[in-house]
Amino acid sequence: MAVVLVLALGYPLVRQLLMSFQEFGLAQQFGAAEPEWVGTANYQALFADPVVWGVIARSIAFCAVNASLTMIVGTSVAVLMTKLDGPVRLMLQTSLLLAWAMPVIAAMTVWQWLFDTQYGVINWALVQSGFEGFAGHSWLLNPLSFYFVATVIVVWMSVPFVAFSLYAALTQVSEEVLEAAQLDGASGWQRFRHILVPTIMPIIYVVSLLQVIWDLRVFAQIYYLQGAGGLRSETDLLGTYIYNLGIGQSDYGMASAVATFMLLLTLALTIGYVRKLAKEEEP
Amino acid sequence: MKLIPIAVLGTVAALVLGACSNDGSTTGSGGADAGADAEITLWLAGEDTPVELTDWLTTEFEETTDATLTVERVDWGELLPRLQTSLGNTDETPDVVEIGNTQAPTFASVGAFTDLTDHLDDLGGDAIGPQGFVEAGTVDDAVYAVPYYWGSRYVFYRTDLLEAAGIAVPTTLAEFNAAAAALTTDTQSGFWLPGQDWRNGISWIFANGGDIAVQEDGTWTGTLSSPESIEGLTQLKAIYDGVSKAPKDGEDAEPWTAFNNGDAAMFMAPGWARWSIAEDLVENVGAFALPGVDGGAAPVFAGGSTIAISKASPNQELSLELLELIYSDDYQTMLAENGLGPANSTFNSLMGGGEQDEFTVAALAAAENAKLTPAAASWAAVEQSKIMEEFFAKIAQGGDIATEAAAADAALDKALN
Repeated sequence: MAVVLVLALGYPLVRQLLMSFQEFGLAQQFGAAEPEWVGTANYQALFADPVVWGVIARSIAFCAVNASLTMIVGTSVAVLMTKLDGPVRLMLQTSLLLAWAMPVIAAMTVWQWLFDTQYGVINWALVQSGFEGFAGHSWLLNPLSFYFVATVIVVWMSVPFVAFSLYAALTQVSEEVLEAAQLDGASGWQRFRHILVPTIMPIIYVVSLLQVIWDLRVFAQIYYLQGAGGLRSETDLLGTYIYNLGIGQSDYGMASAVATFMLLLTLALTIGYVRKLAKEEEP
Repeated sequence: MKLIPIAVLGTVAALVLGACSNDGSTTGSGGADAGADAEITLWLAGEDTPVELTDWLTTEFEETTDATLTVERVDWGELLPRLQTSLGNTDETPDVVEIGNTQAPTFASVGAFTDLTDHLDDLGGDAIGPQGFVEAGTVDDAVYAVPYYWGSRYVFYRTDLLEAAGIAVPTTLAEFNAAAAALTTDTQSGFWLPGQDWRNGISWIFANGGDIAVQEDGTWTGTLSSPESIEGLTQLKAIYDGVSKAPKDGEDAEPWTAFNNGDAAMFMAPGWARWSIAEDLVENVGAFALPGVDGGAAPVFAGGSTIAISKASPNQELSLELLELIYSDDYQTMLAENGLGPANSTFNSLMGGGEQDEFTVAALAAAENAKLTPAAASWAAVEQSKIMEEFFAKIAQGGDIATEAAAADAALDKALN
């Protein structure tokens, strides 16, 4: 078991690390040339390129906005679930589950239709409500509105997981404590802030940690939207940038260097969470 | 809580997996079993090859060789990444692949394909064409990829709308531009041209004598900012601004949708688009080759693909037999009759069901002057980074032509050299 785990996780990681110090392209892949060791040249080129810094900044901003939004909406939905009657809650849970279970590409196709410049429902509905300016509006051309669409989709896809996890945690909070607090005159918000949140904190940590990781490496949604009309050079995030470098331009060496940087960035952004979790474990 | 250590372990594993899953390993499916010489796989790109043709291929292949042929269709958008990850691996590679004519040089130059030079005579000799497609698959005088089919872009138009407006079929590019403007109304595009559709838009650059990039002493230079290219882009901008209501973020896929919906009077597409025109429109649809600046046919971008044998394939002999079947008279006839430009030019006259209708005439006229993208080994990188799509979209959005052209040239210089 351990051997399998080390092989499955370790081999690609080591390979990626080695490749990031090599010149490795299509010629090397097809055996027409030997990989050449270039030291830290890939990393130097990487950090000297303003485009890369743009990608990194956008990725972090996108991750921050999406992870926070997902957590806020997800927590609200989880609290809502505890308040709802059986049948209504079941309906809400079913629709969340459907959103969660929908394959990414199928979901993306539907979203793309919704936001379609010419025949999309969103533009149509906006025009019908009096916003004539949205006739033929291209949502994906402007980077900011591109990210708006991407955020709507990413949050929509991630909320169910957060909502279900936190709902499960909330149902474990002891009724007696809540009742006692209520008798002592604590308001709904105070009970939420001082009893519910601290009790489910470990779960909130784990879930937000996962959100940060997922939103930092978001790929399919961005890649698909770029194919549907977005301008690649202005909307690339780390995931699509690495893909484009590696698979698109066959510059596997550079792609590995960016991927290695991304691994370190992920670690840097999440190390606080992990330490916090580890601390909770100590008695 | 006992759950915490498991949660930590789980998230750390997710973190590691998450961060390293981007190194580009996609699993290729298909591919022949090594050693089992009784089965080969053919990858066809997109849906352009009609099913009756692939049915014929599988049946004939089994009859002539006793081996099985599996045809797999790969979406155009997925083709490059899937070829990059599977072609080099004997266990994963498809045996024979269709590949876009502009993508062939990339793979031919790194030795991913089998040298076909000695077999050209068996396939069709001098009749193999168009010549530009053969050159796209040639490296150092060795031919690695041969034409599969071609389709030159020509203009489809509504005969009833032109008649009603009293406009004759244009014979020069200026006349065409004027006709397109005249046919534009509040709800109808005189000519349909989405912002990112550079494969059709480039015709205006070519027609005015411009080009994408030229090679000198082994170095590629982008020429989108040459005076000739700027002239073409200026005419194109007039179309984007005042004629085409197509989405500025739209790509070249399915231009006939707007045409079929009555939203456009004219559009431009490769010949096979004729099978996508709505039934109730067909009798009112005509075709002509985009006219050049001084008349005749404008140089347009030649669409189409080439076909090659994977060098890593263990089934070289069978693959060659499949290639010979594809170049057989029967198959070439079927290609031509289905409106796909046949790889053997002696069958050109059969296009359009054996009759020289105006679609066939337009296709052949457009093919005469058709141009290809620069035959640079790294052209595929230009396509993957969408340099051309972005450039045209920015012009369509109202960007300054000279500034955007200079920026696009710089991007081309970087990607091509």
